[in-house]
Amino acid sequence: MSETTQPAAAHGRHYGTSSAHTVEGTDPHLHVEVHEPEHDAGLRPILLLHGFASNSALNWVDSGWLNALLTAGRRIILVDLPGHGRSSAPDDVDAYSPSRIRADLLQLATDVGARPLRNGDPASGLDLVGYSFGSRLAWEFAATQPELVHRVVLGGPSSTDPLAAFDLAAATNYLATGTPIADESTASLLRMAQALPANNIFALLALVEAVSSEPFDPAEAIPNQPLLLIAGDRDERASTMDALAALAPHAQQQEIRGRNHINVVTSRAFKTAAIEFLAAD
Amino acid sequence: MAEISFPLPDLGEGLIDATILEWLVAPGDQVERNQPMVEVETTKSALELPSPQAGRVVRTYGEPGQSIKVGEPLIIFSVPDDSAGIVGTVPMEEAPRRRVRLTARPDED
Repeated sequence: MSETTQPAAAHGRHYGTSSAHTVEGTDPHLHVEVHEPEHDAGLRPILLLHGFASNSALNWVDSGWLNALLTAGRRIILVDLPGHGRSSAPDDVDAYSPSRIRADLLQLATDVGARPLRNGDPASGLDLVGYSFGSRLAWEFAATQPELVHRVVLGGPSSTDPLAAFDLAAATNYLATGTPIADESTASLLRMAQALPANNIFALLALVEAVSSEPFDPAEAIPNQPLLLIAGDRDERASTMDALAALAPHAQQQEIRGRNHINVVTSRAFKTAAIEFLAAD
Repeated sequence: MAEISFPLPDLGEGLIDATILEWLVAPGDQVERNQPMVEVETTKSALELPSPQAGRVVRTYGEPGQSIKVGEPLIIFSVPDDSAGIVGTVPMEEAPRRRVRLTARPDED
């Protein structure tokens, strides 16, 4: 049994791999960290969901998000998605399916102390910040967990699914024989995956395979919570953000000038907007 | 007062340079240690570098869009003479949370 992430009573960091609970009979072995603010604002925790081929350290720690949110007095839950960062990379493709990941996220949020929303209790419930693929997960998680999720920030979001359109055969062929990949989106996603030497390419391809069997269909389940959609104005992967926002009843949008899908992540304007949005009732 | 210069730190992963995205401090600002200082972008990701030093900013190097090589000057602080000597000793404050840390350039004079 792996180490258990305890609900935090004191300030500081709490590291752990996965939870003591199993989901559908198996332990997902996700790397989870809970970070406590020095001065607690008394608000619900925030779960941060990183993008494809990234990890929580890169997406949320090195980029300055963790410090900014802690300074704002928020309690933070970081998780590395399966096959990413310090989480394990199961051989079973089903471990990477978005529905399975959402079940794991619900379990870990509960394990670290997130509780269903209660009227008049600002510490109840859970806020979400997702980036890219993490935004897809956040959209679906919010739509399917209305009793838990309070507000959601979706960074670099898309109404389509670049991962489902990924040409897995071409990528596999490229890795085996070096044959160039014709599809530009596939080629750039694979470059992204290979940019970090620590990335497990075969786990990432397993995730792609699992996602293509459950492609993002935002109209299937629509979050009713307040949503803030944010992307750089040079982010081609978020060019369908308008269409996504139009589906939700309480969505607002913001563009960050001069930023693209990679470098909007550090933007101070992005962080400030998210912190203000998530502090509202 | 003494001046302390910090170069662009080694960002790991074999990276040799970074592009300035945005300065979060400006000459004349009094900054705290670990306060967000500058956003930079590498070929792999975007990073926010925390200030390695409490002090007043004397000069920053590089406009947004400009590339700086690892080891080249990034920022100069002015600090009281009696605190300049503590560089290189264990700081009183909590260590930075980020994995990337800046270190002072050894005095070359």
